Formats: sequence, structure tokens, C-alpha cells
Amino acid sequence: MARNGEQLLLLVVIPVMLLVFFSQTDFLPTIAGNKIDFLMPGILCLAVISTAMVSLGISTGFERSYGVLKRLGTTPLGTRRLVMSKVSAICVIEVAQLALLIIVGQLLGWSPNRINLAQVLVLLLVGTSCFAGIGLTLAGRLRAEINLAAQNGLYLVLFLLGGILVPNDELPKTLGNVAQVLPSSLLSSLLRDSFNNNTFDSTNAIALGGWAFAMCALAVISFKWSD
Amino acid sequence: MSAKSCELRTVMVMNISSESRQIAISVRELIVDYKLLRAVNNISFDAKAGEVTVVIGPNGAGKTSTMEVCSGVRTATSGKVSVLGLDPKKDRSKINSQIGVMLQDGGVYPSARVFEIAQHYCNLYGNRTTADELLDAVDLTQQKKTSWRKLSGGEKQRLSLALALAAKPRVAFLDEPTSGVDIFGRDLIRGIVRQLASDGCAVIMATHELDEAQRVADHVLMFHNGSLVANAPLTELLNSTGENQTLEDIFRSFAKNSPMSKLRDEQ
Repeated sequence: MARNGEQLLLLVVIPVMLLVFFSQTDFLPTIAGNKIDFLMPGILCLAVISTAMVSLGISTGFERSYGVLKRLGTTPLGTRRLVMSKVSAICVIEVAQLALLIIVGQLLGWSPNRINLAQVLVLLLVGTSCFAGIGLTLAGRLRAEINLAAQNGLYLVLFLLGGILVPNDELPKTLGNVAQVLPSSLLSSLLRDSFNNNTFDSTNAIALGGWAFAMCALAVISFKWSD
Repeated sequence: MSAKSCELRTVMVMNISSESRQIAISVRELIVDYKLLRAVNNISFDAKAGEVTVVIGPNGAGKTSTMEVCSGVRTATSGKVSVLGLDPKKDRSKINSQIGVMLQDGGVYPSARVFEIAQHYCNLYGNRTTADELLDAVDLTQQKKTSWRKLSGGEKQRLSLALALAAKPRVAFLDEPTSGVDIFGRDLIRGIVRQLASDGCAVIMATHELDEAQRVADHVLMFHNGSLVANAPLTELLNSTGENQTLEDIFRSFAKNSPMSKLRDEQ
């Protein structure tokens, strides 16, 4: 999955560049306190979106259009084990991605107050399911090239309206209200709470869980193994 | 394998009583509908172990749809299909380890290399054979490090066939295995197909190349506009006309007499 050069750009270069650039410059003056403390949880959320949604979605879309999924479906691998192997691939990539980002973050002076590690891990898991569900829903229906464009477009929307660089209350009111209920905003805000305040917003958590359930269910129902 | 020894093998295989062979695939009253089209219209047939059953007919006749239902990748609209006594959809996990499938469009990731692909498929079936053996059988040892996208049309077909062989299958579904393949590749593929049948495998092979079908078939299923217009052993079909006719001649006469053709003629 992480074989091609463009995947490396998406999975590693973009999140690291955003983290370094915006923690070292003053383009985001509205952020109170330490910039890196605000940025880090959002960038971790972006990393999850890039792996679970974009990378998984694009590769699955192409595999579908090349008939790879159809053919593997006739082998003992079967469709269930194929999905399981994709899930494990995502987890391996995410672990590497998050480890790298945390190291870079620490070099930039990131020192979270009180981390609730169990809470962070559960949130990452739920977030991953949610974005994988979105990625696979698109991949399971759209033509490979359209899917490629859709995944990248959605990545940008979820990024800009995800409270990752710009806090949602800085956005125009209507846009901010929409952004608040998007899964990227929910995950970045929940992660921020877990790292910096050790608090837990149960409404946001329930909403993220709902997204995850709905998106996975939609992917299972709508997915077509071949065109 | 020379053409002569291939013919000899064919004759020997034909001498074994077809009646005594076990039925590997049984299809009854199969219907496959797409949105605006009935692709397969109420067909029934059996395919036996140790035989090459060739599915012939022009493009869009219903060959691939039928093969896909039998290999479990497509759901039938109605009808009953049994492969090795199992339901291709419900018992998919049990059937998948016993069948080899060659799809019309390859189904391989373009950037993957020949050896990697072969190795992967060997692993999927629990290493019943080795990647080297597979590539040797289809004469692709020299192209081991080539990526799928750089293979010629004929090489792609040979590799795709090799992947179906990784299963050491009891039933092999081969969709247009000789399409785009040169004459030497055809000889090689024909040899492999006959060998599969001699080893007791039920081979179902779709093609619209009728001369190829005549060279390799034990049994012929002739499709036209979604219907089965002939279902008979090759020798029986060729003898039925009493003249020295080829499969192509016979197909033309069936197609001409079909209701659709009559309708076209009237118009």
C-alpha cells in the first residue's frame, strides 16, 4: 500500500511539513498557548485520515478496477481475509506514521501535560474505522480515477474544516457549525482534550462512534467487488 | 508438445467412456439478468471431471456471465448451480481452495512483478507448487523480474493461466485463455489445458475462437443470445450433420436458425 512515491508524500511528507512549518511560523496567531500543543493532535488526526481513508481508498479503488479484488475473491484468501489484511496493513502504517510524528513533535518542543494513553488509542482506533469506512465506501462504488479525485478532495475538506490548523470557531459561523460535526473535527478535538486537558467530551465521542458505525455499515452494504 | 502428440492424447482421452466420469459442475435453469438485459436465459448443463468443456459463442452470448456464476464471483438471478457438490456462493470458502480461475481481464496489479505474483498465488493455496514450476510451465522464466504492465498480451495470458494452476485445481474456469496469444502460445496453452483434464480436472473454457475450441474440446456448450443452442460431446456434434463440417460451420447454422436472426432477416 505504501509502495508508491506519492503515497509517501501523503502519509509522511505532508503531515511532517505542516507540523514543522506551522509550529515555527506565526501564521496562526489566534492559537492560545503553545502552538505545537494545538497542532500535534490535529496533525495526528490528519495522519489517520491520510492512511485510513485516502491511501486505503485509492489503492482499493484501483485494485477493484484492475479486477484484482474479483480474482482474489476466487482464491482461498476470500474477501473477508482480504479486508482483514488491509486493516492490519493500515495499523502497521499508522503506528510507523504516528511514531515518526511524535518524535518530530518532541524535537519541536511538544510536551503534553497529562496524556490519557488508553483514551488516545481508543480514539485513534474509532477514527481509523470511521475514515476507512468513508474511503472504502467511495472506493467500492466510484470508477478508479473519479475515486482518486474524490478521496483527495475530501481529504482537503476534512483537513480545512477539521480544526487541524484553524480552530473551528475562527471560521465563518455557518461553516464553523458544519465543521464541528465532521469526523475530522470530532477526532482532532477529542485527541486535543486527551493530550492537553485530560478531559473527555462524551457528546463528541458518541458522535464520532456514530460516524464510524454508519460509515463502516455503508461500506459493507454498498461495496461492489468489481465494476 | 507437438501437434501430433496433442491429437493422440485427445483421441486417448476420448476413448475413456465419458459416461463413467463424475459430474463436477451442474447447472439447472440458470438465469442471469443485468439492468436492461437478460444475459443468460434459462440454461442447464453438466460438466464432467477429466473433460475439457468448451463454452463457445460470440461476444455477449452469455459465456462469461455463466462462468462467473459457476466460479462464485457473480450472483445468479435464478436457477441452481452446484460445483463439486457445493453452492458457489454459500460455500465459497470451501470451493475456493479447489478451483482455479482465469478471468478475462487478468486481475493483477500492474506494478507487480511476474515472480512476485506467482509466489503470492502459490502462498494463497498453501504452496501446492512453486512459483518457479508455474513460470516454467508457461515459459515465463525469462520474464521473472518484469512487471505485469510490461508483459505482452500473450505473456499476460500465460501468466494469468499459471495463477489458475497454482491451485492444482479440481475445477478450472478459463475465460478466453487464448485471446491475443500467438500460435506458439496457443500450442502451449492447449497442452496445459489437455494436461489438466488428463489429471482429472474439470476444465471449463470460454472462447469465441471456434478453431481453437475444436482442437481442445471434449464437450461443447454453444451459446447464442444467452441461450444454450447446443450441448453435446464434440465428436457427436461434428458427426451430427453427416457432412465434413467444422465447429464454425455448425455454429453458423445454429446462429442463422435462432429466433433473433430470423427476426433480423425479416426486418
